[in-house]
Amino acid sequence: MTLVAKEAEAAEAAEAAREAGSGKRAAPPNHPLRAEFLRGFAPWAGAAVLLTLAVGMAAAAAEWQGGWAETRDRLHVGAQLLGVPLALAACCWQGGRERRRRTGELMSAAARGPLARFLASALPVACWVVAGYAVATGLALLATAFYATGDRPHLVVPLTDAVALGSAAVVGQVVGRLVPWRLTAPALAVAGYVGVGVLAYEGTSPVRHLSPLADGSVTDVPVWWQPLAMAAWTGGLATAAVLAYAARRRFTALLPLAAATAAGALLVQTGDGLWHADPLARRQVCDTSTTPQICVNARYEGLLPQVTEALSGLTGRLEGVENLPVRFADLPRRPKPDEAELPMITPIGWSVVRGRLTDPREFAWAAGMALYGRGECETTDPRVARIDDAVEAYLAPSPLQQDFDEADAKGGKAERDRLKERIEARARLAGMGDEERRAWLSEYFATADECDPKEVPAL
Amino acid sequence: MTVRPEESTGAMTVRPERGADAMTVRPEGAAGAVTGGLLLYARSRTLPLTVASLAATGALAVWAAHGLDAYLDPSRRVPVVALAPLLAAAAIGASLYSASEELDRTAVRPWWRRRLVQLLALTALAAVLLPPAVLGHVSSFGPPAMIRNTLGCTGLAAAAAALLGARLSWLPVFGYVSAVYMGAAGVHGGVVPVWAWLVQPAGEWDGWIVALVAFGAGGVLYVVRGARPEGPRG
Repeated sequence: MTLVAKEAEAAEAAEAAREAGSGKRAAPPNHPLRAEFLRGFAPWAGAAVLLTLAVGMAAAAAEWQGGWAETRDRLHVGAQLLGVPLALAACCWQGGRERRRRTGELMSAAARGPLARFLASALPVACWVVAGYAVATGLALLATAFYATGDRPHLVVPLTDAVALGSAAVVGQVVGRLVPWRLTAPALAVAGYVGVGVLAYEGTSPVRHLSPLADGSVTDVPVWWQPLAMAAWTGGLATAAVLAYAARRRFTALLPLAAATAAGALLVQTGDGLWHADPLARRQVCDTSTTPQICVNARYEGLLPQVTEALSGLTGRLEGVENLPVRFADLPRRPKPDEAELPMITPIGWSVVRGRLTDPREFAWAAGMALYGRGECETTDPRVARIDDAVEAYLAPSPLQQDFDEADAKGGKAERDRLKERIEARARLAGMGDEERRAWLSEYFATADECDPKEVPAL
Repeated sequence: MTVRPEESTGAMTVRPERGADAMTVRPEGAAGAVTGGLLLYARSRTLPLTVASLAATGALAVWAAHGLDAYLDPSRRVPVVALAPLLAAAAIGASLYSASEELDRTAVRPWWRRRLVQLLALTALAAVLLPPAVLGHVSSFGPPAMIRNTLGCTGLAAAAAALLGARLSWLPVFGYVSAVYMGAAGVHGGVVPVWAWLVQPAGEWDGWIVALVAFGAGGVLYVVRGARPEGPRG
């Protein structure tokens, strides 16, 4: 090999001398890294990460598109559960390249040291993997930007994930060079998946905070130093592995290992304190012109006009009625005694998809149901049930009311009788004069959670 | 078939004989001591290691399924039901690699029978070894789902081996399984069972159809064409 290299070098020198003699200027040679970046397996690895993440994200787009925190969490899970195993496997495959090409001996005769040779092979794949992730992230953020209804983009978590992906890439390369087995790459990928997953779902143990997958909920944000500590943990382990494998002075691996250990200890020690409630999620914006007032969480404040519009029929019929809750509240806590809970808007993908209420009628019905509740009563008297039904039908009927009525109309005599009584009660309420109805409804809402049928006003 | 240089230049020679198996290697001076062609074939495809990998996959699946508390909710088994067939398919796909593709092409007998037997035998072995990890819950994520996914993933790996090369055949399967696993969670709809057959309950017949088509198409592609030749630059 050395002889061949020398011959090639001599031929190159002779060629250069000829060109210099003939007055031609030789074109500057391309940097060796250029070929490593643009050819071979590296771009394919990036494309694989991009494609996998894009398909995984797009298939469930309704569940995150429009919510910045939801997008952040979905990308985070994708990067850790899909990206990390794929990066491990792809770079592990790249690590076995010299062995497959049988160029290990030739490479060992190169002037550069083992660390430079390692990085020349590992960095392009790592960069392409991170680039694939960055493009997928950009697309997801763009997809959300069109439908966002509040909040702001969360960029720190994707940056931390990019460090984890790059770290997985170089660790994969180290393993690929060390383990000469055809199945190393897929086995490493599955091991990465199991490792990340098992650590993250380690119940209540603080060890789960060592997994890059571990996170809070959409209403939580990490403390400011958590991304730094996580980057130091993953990046430190990867750097230690690289230095231990390829550095001329291997003891230098102890330094990043110490940093990773310190960061890991910090993560484990802090435990659940790594996450705290997002201050934004603890605020709500309200429309105070209605009765009751309508509030939506500040995370999706842009939905307020739609929600107000959806509930306009309900609030219009309640105008002037007393004994109502002050407002529909939408905070991550139980409503206060004088509040009713706004029907669930999150998790998005159900009542709200891409910044739009999917079924305003059903939303209004759910809001009406939140105004009275006899859920804690052991039994509900048939008369009270009839009155509740009449109020429900007057304020905001269920989209399924007609189906239920038709089912009862086809049922036995008992069902038909119950249906007849229900319809009569609805007609009585609808037939009242406005003042009379307001007075009756005020009396009714004063007993909205009473279990004793005698307390509920007759209809 | 693999004939190692030291074997072919030393005491062992390859003699393709009329009427005899072209793969038979007879050691000179040891008449009667015949190493079967199929045995050599199995060794050249690293089948012992593949069988060991499948067994290890089965053991890993048992361990993983045990820790998932699946008796509460069978859908908790989805990671095992998706990932164990993926690993098995990767092992089977990698075993389809031939280190002496050019030499193989000179063989007298057709290869398709050996390829067929290899693919079917390994798939059958995987289909026997993996389901014990997820006993019970037959109509959701039990042994039938594991068998369906093993068939589908193996078909994809075989197709990838024919089109991309056996050594990298795990990559498309891995990308597909990962994307479906993440994307199909909680998604329902008309064509979802077609592309997300992997995470459908075993009772959904369209998932079975797609998996069987994948296995049939991938298997035929591999059996007819063999794994894509891979040069040293692979």
